[in-house]
Amino acid sequence: MKRLIKLLHVLPALLVLTLSAPASAGDSGPVIPKAVKGDQCVEPTDVMRRNHMDFLKHQRDDTMHKGIRTKKYSLKQCLECHVPPQDEAKAAEGEHFCKSCHIYAGVRIDCFQCHNTRPEKTAKFHPLVTPAMQATKGLHSPETAALLNKMAATKNTTGAAQ
Amino acid sequence: MSDMKQPEQSRRDFLSLGAKAAAGLTLAPGVVLYTVAQAKPDDQAVSNINRWGMLIDTTKCANGCDACVTACEKENGWGNSGSEKHSSVSQKPQWIRKVELRHKETGEQHSLPMMCQHCETPPCVDVCPTGASMKRADGIVLVDRHICIGCRYCMMACPYKARSFQHEALTDQSPNAPRGKGCVESCTLCVHKVDAGDGTTACAQACAAEGHNAIIFGDLKDPNSEISKVVAKYATKQIRADLGLNPGVRYQGI
Repeated sequence: MKRLIKLLHVLPALLVLTLSAPASAGDSGPVIPKAVKGDQCVEPTDVMRRNHMDFLKHQRDDTMHKGIRTKKYSLKQCLECHVPPQDEAKAAEGEHFCKSCHIYAGVRIDCFQCHNTRPEKTAKFHPLVTPAMQATKGLHSPETAALLNKMAATKNTTGAAQ
Repeated sequence: MSDMKQPEQSRRDFLSLGAKAAAGLTLAPGVVLYTVAQAKPDDQAVSNINRWGMLIDTTKCANGCDACVTACEKENGWGNSGSEKHSSVSQKPQWIRKVELRHKETGEQHSLPMMCQHCETPPCVDVCPTGASMKRADGIVLVDRHICIGCRYCMMACPYKARSFQHEALTDQSPNAPRGKGCVESCTLCVHKVDAGDGTTACAQACAAEGHNAIIFGDLKDPNSEISKVVAKYATKQIRADLGLNPGVRYQGI
């Protein structure tokens, strides 16, 4: 019985997949580059996918009019983790975390008509994904921490922070 | 945890921590001293406790020196960027410019930088149809380019000719100053530096680096700030004071 219920759950998904297969033939989805730093965003991935524009817009008005410059939902911070800095850009040219998905989804992005598409060179990591923060949240994984620390040690530290 | 090295904390974070600690110094229960406050916490809105302004000593400002202009260009990414190919010199944005003055009768000469004067009652804000032209609580006049429609009323309203229009699509802007085609822009009083608690602007820094020290940036409402002390001691002028706009930028020696 349990098996049957499970099968029933899977069935609609299978059906959709089969039906949509011919339409999306040869379409492998957007090429989304992996985050440069850390392995967890400020919100769960599904929340970010659906609501990032609202977070950004709210932050935008707060920053512009009230001078509130918290980093959690700032556009600069998106770039900080998701896009390699200016001078490392050459290798990944054409692969931009925001742009590649927006282009695929047909979204006209206004951010980057004015905002720079790449972060300044910096050795800082997002406050929410530093090893210390991960440890406090019980999400600490030794491999990630080691990698982050290795990056912190090797990165140029002369750049301005934000 | 002990064997793990923490990523290096930036100087700015360190400074802001210090400022946060200094911002509210409790002398006794219920008595809090608020004097050292320069950098506000990131999550706190700006308030009218501060009024940021500048004092420019024209007797120290050197003829022919444009260090302030160059520094502003570099900090905010306007000026000699190769991306504005079709604009003439008069069309290109100019956030700050050097003005040379000569008194017709006495021959007395002055040189001074001219930029957004950050008025208390800014005409650019009065005329803006969308609310894009706005004044922050701490007296900094800005253009919210997210809602600017590029009508340029503010440019016409400004008696200081401080605003420019961006005619061409840009790439690789300064992360400090996002700017783009179809919007009006002007001096931001280095708002990103002010919010970070740097307590100075790019032009003031450059002027000091040149050894002229003609520009003092500071809080006009803080009686202990350098600018307040000088303003209280010496005669200073606001340009076109007759308009009653009460600019935050004052001049000395003209």
